[in-house]
Amino acid sequence: MKDSILTQKLIKEAEQASLQYYTRRHFLKESAMGFGALALGSLLGSCGTDNAPPANSLFDASNPLAPRPPMFPGKAKSVIYLHMAGAPSQLEMFSYKPELAKLDGLDCPQSLLEGKKFAFIRGVPKMLGPQANFRQHGQSGLWLSDNLPHLATIADEIAMLNAVTTDQFNHAPAQLLMQTGSPRLGRPSIGSWVTYGMGSENKNLPGFVVLTSGGNNPDAGKSVWGSGFLPSVYQGVQCRGEGDPVLFIKDPDGMDRDLRRASIDAINKINQDQYREYQDPEILSRISQYEMAYKMQISVPEVMNINDEPAYIHEMYGTEPGTTSFANNVLLARKLVEKGVRFVQLFDWGWDTHGTSASGSVDIGLVNKCRKVDKPITALILDLKQRGLLDETLIVWGAEFGRTPMQENREGKDMPFKGRDHHAAAFSMWMAGGGIKGGTSYGETDEIGYDIVSGKTEAFDIQATILNQLGFDHEKLTYESQGRPFRLTDVGGKVITDILA
Amino acid sequence: MNIFLSKKIAVVLSILVIVGLFYKLAFSEQEVDFNTQVKPIINKKCISCHGGVKQEAGFSLLFQEEALGPTESGKPAIIPGDPDGSELIRRISLNDPEERMPYKHEALSEDEIKTLRQWVSEGAKWGEHWAYVQVKKQNVPDYNEKWIRNDVDRFIFEKLDEQGMKPSPEADKSTLLRRLSLDLTGLPPSAALSEKYLRDNSEKAYDELLDGLLASPAYGERWTTLWLDLARYADTRGYEADRSRNIWKYRDWLIKAFNTDKAYNEFLIEQLAGDLMPDPDDAKLIATSFHRNTMTNDEGGTDNEEFRTAAVMDRVNTTWTSVMGTTFNCVQCHSHPYDPFKADEYYKFLAFFNNSRDEDTQSEYPVLRGYSSEDSLKLIKLTGWLKTNTSEAHARKYLMFLKTWQPTINSLQCDQFSNAALISSWYAGLRNNGSCRLKNVVLENKTELMFRYKSNYNGGKWSVYLDTPGGKLLKTIPLANTKGEWEITTVTIPQVKGRHHLYFKYYSPLIKTSDETGVQFDWFRFDTDFPGKGKPGYVNALADYNYLMRAKVDETPIMVENSREQFRPTHVFERGNWMVKGKQVTPGVPGVMNPMPANVPMNRLGMALWLTDKKNPLVARTMVNRLWEQLFGYGIAETLEDLGTQGIPPTHMELLDHLSWKFMHDYNWSIKRLLKEMVTSATYRQSSSVNEELLKKDPNNKFYARGARLRLSAEQIRDQGLEVSNLLSRKMYGKSVMPFQPEGIWRSPYNGDKWNLSEGEDQYRRALYTYLKRTAPYPSMITFDGGARESCIPRRIRTNTPLQALTSLNDSTTLVMSRGLALRMQQIGGKNLTRQISKGYELMMYKPISAVKLNALTELYQKAMLRYRKDKPAVIKIAGEKEKQVSAETASLVLVAGAMLNMDEWLNKN
Repeated sequence: MKDSILTQKLIKEAEQASLQYYTRRHFLKESAMGFGALALGSLLGSCGTDNAPPANSLFDASNPLAPRPPMFPGKAKSVIYLHMAGAPSQLEMFSYKPELAKLDGLDCPQSLLEGKKFAFIRGVPKMLGPQANFRQHGQSGLWLSDNLPHLATIADEIAMLNAVTTDQFNHAPAQLLMQTGSPRLGRPSIGSWVTYGMGSENKNLPGFVVLTSGGNNPDAGKSVWGSGFLPSVYQGVQCRGEGDPVLFIKDPDGMDRDLRRASIDAINKINQDQYREYQDPEILSRISQYEMAYKMQISVPEVMNINDEPAYIHEMYGTEPGTTSFANNVLLARKLVEKGVRFVQLFDWGWDTHGTSASGSVDIGLVNKCRKVDKPITALILDLKQRGLLDETLIVWGAEFGRTPMQENREGKDMPFKGRDHHAAAFSMWMAGGGIKGGTSYGETDEIGYDIVSGKTEAFDIQATILNQLGFDHEKLTYESQGRPFRLTDVGGKVITDILA
Repeated sequence: MNIFLSKKIAVVLSILVIVGLFYKLAFSEQEVDFNTQVKPIINKKCISCHGGVKQEAGFSLLFQEEALGPTESGKPAIIPGDPDGSELIRRISLNDPEERMPYKHEALSEDEIKTLRQWVSEGAKWGEHWAYVQVKKQNVPDYNEKWIRNDVDRFIFEKLDEQGMKPSPEADKSTLLRRLSLDLTGLPPSAALSEKYLRDNSEKAYDELLDGLLASPAYGERWTTLWLDLARYADTRGYEADRSRNIWKYRDWLIKAFNTDKAYNEFLIEQLAGDLMPDPDDAKLIATSFHRNTMTNDEGGTDNEEFRTAAVMDRVNTTWTSVMGTTFNCVQCHSHPYDPFKADEYYKFLAFFNNSRDEDTQSEYPVLRGYSSEDSLKLIKLTGWLKTNTSEAHARKYLMFLKTWQPTINSLQCDQFSNAALISSWYAGLRNNGSCRLKNVVLENKTELMFRYKSNYNGGKWSVYLDTPGGKLLKTIPLANTKGEWEITTVTIPQVKGRHHLYFKYYSPLIKTSDETGVQFDWFRFDTDFPGKGKPGYVNALADYNYLMRAKVDETPIMVENSREQFRPTHVFERGNWMVKGKQVTPGVPGVMNPMPANVPMNRLGMALWLTDKKNPLVARTMVNRLWEQLFGYGIAETLEDLGTQGIPPTHMELLDHLSWKFMHDYNWSIKRLLKEMVTSATYRQSSSVNEELLKKDPNNKFYARGARLRLSAEQIRDQGLEVSNLLSRKMYGKSVMPFQPEGIWRSPYNGDKWNLSEGEDQYRRALYTYLKRTAPYPSMITFDGGARESCIPRRIRTNTPLQALTSLNDSTTLVMSRGLALRMQQIGGKNLTRQISKGYELMMYKPISAVKLNALTELYQKAMLRYRKDKPAVIKIAGEKEKQVSAETASLVLVAGAMLNMDEWLNKN
């Protein structure tokens, strides 16, 4: 009898726990005050092993997504990472190189080619001058090309990284390095690390959401939002503009919400009966997961629906509901961070401008791609600002590498259009919001944008900075795998303090 | 507080103190044990500055000779037998933070200092970590309680006894039936087996059930699923375009190997070195695909050598992780920080793998060319003719060539391209007057050049020069227009001595533009003429040879070793960077391990024999530990991937060694016999019910006072659902299949491959046959903790998430299963709802349904009826158009069946 009263109590509390929407403050308050919640917590939280290395203690199998405070108070609460898959040309967007214009059409000097490897350039390519006009903008006098007229209006919000560099010159490995800290498959992505470190603020939404546009997945596939050796619960959840916004979120045709409720009720009753028999705490955990699933079925389509946004917002972002576009994804990103999603990762495919076609050229295709992202990105920053969210939302814009100051001559042939090959040595990225000092720039490249002169910034530095803004020491956020602690930044990484507010 | 109570507490406390003192006295008379007492302190407090990567002040505690050897000061820091003269003890005992060790970190505790001091005074004896010491025969603890069924239980009972715990009673028959069947075959039991078992109440019923399950073909499929994770098996290559890979024959090889209970040592030898065994048959060659599951990178512009190297390193790491439970990959950059492996030893081991023919080619060479049965007969005939008319050696050589197109030289070895290029990093292509070089070709005694090429032009000529671009002309070879198809051509070449760089030039008068590629080469082969000229049947034999080399075949990537001419030296990579080559090394195994057996070749085969030598301390332990984990949820040592000093130590070391010894010596590496010993134990057969006290005492069931209760794997969940709904196809083997998957999962750039829904029964095959694309795996598999298999997955971590709930609620596969199950419920249960539900439940769980569950499901049914009575279109959507009885009753029952497929007890083994 005594047993069954306790059982009832536990089940009731498991249900309550799952039914309540917790902000972190709520959560802490409740667990500190409610004895029952504590008792349940200790019951459910007993899956760690005595001998397990403390490094993995953030992982609690029974409640892996419980919100957790970072290591120190971070400036940012969430991150929107905009990755332009394929690698845009910095020389037509951010990197103003008048000297390069003077070299246009001349043979590339041997000194630049010796000992260097390129993806497609063979023999001696010709130099290619900038294919865009540049102007200075804002109080900071940031140089931006005419391809980015909207961004130009908010130049002072941006911290430009002029001297980013990587050692990978192929898309898949370079994307992996940027997003997982290793050019090989199998490591957790930044968003997975963040979710592992912080859990999920909103119990009805995933903590790490991925949105893709441009018609293809990024070259490295879903691995760039994979959880690697971290438990799979930390992988990014891909939300989609067409079809189900999250896989299997929709009830089967012919079933309505009431029947879904009824069926989950039946399942939970059966499971409670099972718990009575086995007393396995995992059963309670499953009951709460089914409750959460039910709530996600409402909250995810809700947040993924942009129809109800006011007209001025659509105008601002350039969004068209019912399609998949970068603009739609950017607006969704704002909605998601508003709802407490920690990490929103966007990939936009189609920036690989080799010059093999008009759409893959730096003077036609790139201009069109810029047109599709310039307005929504600018809108995002302004919109977050007007909602008072910019300070706590870190925005990162970048790609896996940049493009060469030389014109591509694939297999020694002239390309039909103006294109540039992959360039690992020097390219541009930028950050804004989330404790970043707007109107700054960091690092410089030589007069033709071929190599770095100062302020060298590697993928690890970007990752360290992102973690820092969220309140994590990148050297201490570790996970034990295969016998040693791993971290996102491997053995590198320094926070780029020059751009911090 | 009650005064009596506090007095009682005081008495208890003082007794505890006295007992504690005695214990301490008794304890300190015992010698300090290096492994369990000293090494943990070193690993935790010292090694990060004094061992492996860093050796501050020239002092390292990683190896004995380093620890006792002189430091930078010239003196050793440890003087065995003299703690007062040992700098180590002095430094850890100081108070001055500038001098005290660990520097700038928390001081050692008094106990830790005492332990180290005692260790030094007792002579600083070094000990090897348990996992690197050969397995010894164990004494079985002398327990004979009624509960005990076999020796496994004696080891388990001993520990339970120590803990003051009692085992749980045996689970009921229905639970055991389902548990055993899912564990051994990954499926619910067949009707025949389950009926027989449930009816038979004798002792032998369980054993007969067990034998039936072990004999089922489903057994091999279930254990193959485990091995596919270790072998990082996938149907694509990874990276950007992530193109398809045809390697399913390896999966089928595994199924057969498990089903025939191939001895584990042979199982490993064939996978690691089947190609180097004498006269390997196709099966042995397919076995070597194990290490061709490495990823390759097709992306244009990639450095093939970089990704070849990555694959070789992955083979080393996978071999150690999967088969020896060791984190050897740490050693690629530096000596292991915790375990006794030196950086050089990594590269010596890598040298075993560094001479396989694969070179990250787009065509996946080397491959096994699988002939049609008709052509196979031709091949046998030809081999026979060669044996009779030429020599055994010739027969072997040509058989190997026809089966593998090896040895050949891939055109991607060409360099110095001028007006030519390595097209997409795949094939050497030359334009008009273009040229390139092929390095270091042995021409001595070669009379024939065979090559595979394609061209779209007539009149092409290919000139081959010796040593310099304008050097001596070896031969000019006319190239026919192959209309873009690959073709193999053979020409004779004049005899030249020695090795030469060859310079190629191409010209066709019919190419007018400067940027058209005139010819692309795939591979070259320099050889002697086909033998047996003048012998009877020569003409036919030659014709067969020419036919077979071009025959249409099914290609599977396999391992083939380099010929002596193609030998690849192995170097240490400085700091793990493959671009910076250090000193050259020869193959060898780490010093801490068993030595190479006498008289084995120093190649992959020798390595495989070393690995399966009974003296190897890791191989049997790793497999025993892994099988145990599959049955009990956690390994005896929890970290399956790391039995080293940083892994979690085994809870039952003696049991692990007992089973490992038996596995090798008594069971002759039979996996079935080993599993049988585990599942016939009383330990395995316990009920998995838990109570508050037990949960408190042993939350993770480390002492096995109850049975294991675990969520099923992604594969098991799918398979049992298909089985209970009467949909499961029992078809075995063959190409991977594409069951239903939502739209838009596959979106790889530069790859038009589509998810083409399989038809008919291929929709409902067991999960292990589902096509796995590495960059976009099957969604429900990933949700239920399966992996993308980019690299070896030594252990799946179980999670419990809302996405899993969504998948098993809403995946359309669940709807199809629910319909199937509902239909069965109607068939067996007739018109009566209670009977339908009860019978359905019994189909799933083999026992009567409880009243609570029955009520819950009945209520759901009634709610559904209220809705569906009024909504015919919804009925059709739920029950399906094809069903004969499109009725509200059927639709409601489908909903009920769907809920049943989401029961926790169904998703778990209980």
